[in-house]
Amino acid sequence: MALRGLVKRFEAKTAVAGVDLDVPAGSFFGLLGPNGAGKTTTLSMAVGLLRPDGGDIRVLGHDVWRDPVRAKSLIGVLPDGARLFDRLSGGELLAYHGLLRGMDPRVVDQRAAELLDVLALGTDNRTLVVDYSAGMKKKIGLACALLHGPRLLVLDEPFEAVDPVSASLIRDILQRYVSGGGTVIFSSHVMEVVERLCSHVAIMAEGAIRRSGTLAEVRGEDSLEHVFVSVVGGRTATGSELAWL
Amino acid sequence: MAVNAGPGTFIRLKLRVTAGGLRGRTGRVLLFVLGVLVALFLAIAGYLIFALPGFLDDPRAAATLFTLGGGALVLGWLLLPLVFFGVDESLDPSRFALLPLPRRVLVRGLFAAALTGVPAVAMLLATAGMVHAAALLGGVPAAATQMLGVLLGLFLCVAASRAVTSAFATALRSRRARDMATVLFALLAAMIGPLQVALAAGAQRADWDRVARLADVVAWTPLGAAFSMGPDVVDGRAWAVPVKLVIALASLGLLLWWWASSLEKAMLGLAVSGGRGRTAGQSRPMVEQLLVGALPRNRSGALISREIRYWWRGTRRRASLITFAVLGVFLPIVLSSGNGAVTMLPFVGVVAAISLANQFGYEGAAYASHIVAGVPGRVELRTRAAGLSVYVIPLLIVVAVLGSLITGEQARTAALLGSLLAAYGLGLAVALPISVRGAYALPDTTNPFATSSGAGMAKGLMTLGAMVVAFVGALPLQLADFLVGDVWLVLGLPVGVAYGAAAFWAGSTLAGAMLDRRMPEVLTAVTPNR
Repeated sequence: MALRGLVKRFEAKTAVAGVDLDVPAGSFFGLLGPNGAGKTTTLSMAVGLLRPDGGDIRVLGHDVWRDPVRAKSLIGVLPDGARLFDRLSGGELLAYHGLLRGMDPRVVDQRAAELLDVLALGTDNRTLVVDYSAGMKKKIGLACALLHGPRLLVLDEPFEAVDPVSASLIRDILQRYVSGGGTVIFSSHVMEVVERLCSHVAIMAEGAIRRSGTLAEVRGEDSLEHVFVSVVGGRTATGSELAWL
Repeated sequence: MAVNAGPGTFIRLKLRVTAGGLRGRTGRVLLFVLGVLVALFLAIAGYLIFALPGFLDDPRAAATLFTLGGGALVLGWLLLPLVFFGVDESLDPSRFALLPLPRRVLVRGLFAAALTGVPAVAMLLATAGMVHAAALLGGVPAAATQMLGVLLGLFLCVAASRAVTSAFATALRSRRARDMATVLFALLAAMIGPLQVALAAGAQRADWDRVARLADVVAWTPLGAAFSMGPDVVDGRAWAVPVKLVIALASLGLLLWWWASSLEKAMLGLAVSGGRGRTAGQSRPMVEQLLVGALPRNRSGALISREIRYWWRGTRRRASLITFAVLGVFLPIVLSSGNGAVTMLPFVGVVAAISLANQFGYEGAAYASHIVAGVPGRVELRTRAAGLSVYVIPLLIVVAVLGSLITGEQARTAALLGSLLAAYGLGLAVALPISVRGAYALPDTTNPFATSSGAGMAKGLMTLGAMVVAFVGALPLQLADFLVGDVWLVLGLPVGVAYGAAAFWAGSTLAGAMLDRRMPEVLTAVTPNR
């Protein structure tokens, strides 16, 4: 995936100010940034959910905004928050996504059952997704994104509000997906996960990419967290403030 | 920590939320201003009507008008939010759940905030006409009493609308209760029907005394008690005032208590509705679980199936479906008492289609998954219309049969169904483009009647506009019915179906092309808090 000069303005505020980003095929790419840095906005534009005010997005050579059908068939998306039709049961939701993508119903059945089984969501579970826990919602969202066998996975905060067991399961599945030749880009602000998983990292702040490259290039000799805080320009506690604590 | 959040805090919060909702959105500001102007017009008209008995120096008319007019206002506040507008829930009670607020403070604050709105102010303005009339008729004592009554009446109206919508929201949330709600609605409909017939029969005899006697009775019920206090002073029946004061205050207290108790349930929210997880006996393939009946195992089949399930599973959609069903059953009964029965009935078809006018708002951000999957606009809109039709078309058949039975013109059933279907098709043709251009986000609450600030106005106006357009569009059929005569009994159904289908085809093609160009914009519009 390649982003060139991506710009998005909301009313008064510029959320994304000219982002250039290359996600090499086969990489496990972490997009880091503090809250409000423009990560979600960038990823939304990259998958065709938000119209950019300027710039180009190509996915495996296909322009997302000019050739959306081809590009979108190659992408699997885990959107932020509750962007699922959550009044279906898990099985129904998977079948729905499969048929929407124009897949063969038999393949849908088989893959959906397998995904529900692997993600420990229960193939017989008739609970509506709206009643799922946060971790289960992330898992069913991931299953929906994986169902049609995309070449590129775009995940917004896949590890947010997920319990450790589900998180390690999601990590395993993603790692297997990348080793099978897929590409993953995900946003996060959990350094430890990014450091453990990613081959490439980009650090974003105030709508621009501050650092980008392989994990080793960005991190250098330091810890990722240290680099992150210094790049973003956060303050470090001196100990004199909040003395009443 | 001591909490002293007086009503003023809540009012300021409400004003700020309203202003925040309008900031930087020219369209919304325009709609808001338009709504204010309409409300102002109605308020002034109401003022003049209520003040009229004062100018005419007719205390008897004042007593009748105040009682019945006031009673009608209370009923309006009670029923209109349920059917049409929804209540402005800019201050969602569940947001206050974590704050250490005693129930009294919360209810008082939310009540004050509910009073701070265009409808409440308009109502106060209109009923001020009663004070004017009372002053002309009975001087200062009457005016002061009436002012008290008008204020009490306003409080009663607001409390009634809040209590009823809140109670309904709580009731419709749980699955077990929804059947109860359906029965309740049907009962309500059954009650309104005969009442309307009786009223119409009474009006036809034009018996002024009878109306006055009715007013005398209503004056002692919570509906009219508050409003009839001024005329009592004018007539020298000052002893009635304290009694009516007690009636009005007691009903206000009861309503507030009812509201407070359902508020608490609303604040607990989803925590109550847990334990719904269940496991099916045997595991069916996922695709079979999703698809309804014999729908094709492809994209359209999946889209229609989801729509069908959503009309029943989503609280908002269910509320609008039930409302429509009730309307469909009792409108024929009501209309049959007048002369315009058969000409007005096709309106039901338009009303059915209007529930799609903000169809994208129902699921909010979930629409993202359609964009990601690349569902074409035309497929999107047609499958959505098909999903609704699964519920609406049987209902329209019922309406046609009921309507012709009641008017005693069984021969017209087919022609009537034709007009209904034509009106439905036209309604869809109008509602679909609106749903693409005018989509707006609904607040993320479980109250199906809640709309965001300002949006209630927008919804009302848009619905009205769509109805007018569809109604005008249906006129040619009515005209043909009138001119062609008996041949229409045979031609009505096929021509109506063809007319409706053509309108739907044109509307969905137009709206589909619009949606293809605007998918991300629609998503942004329906995503809450953006």
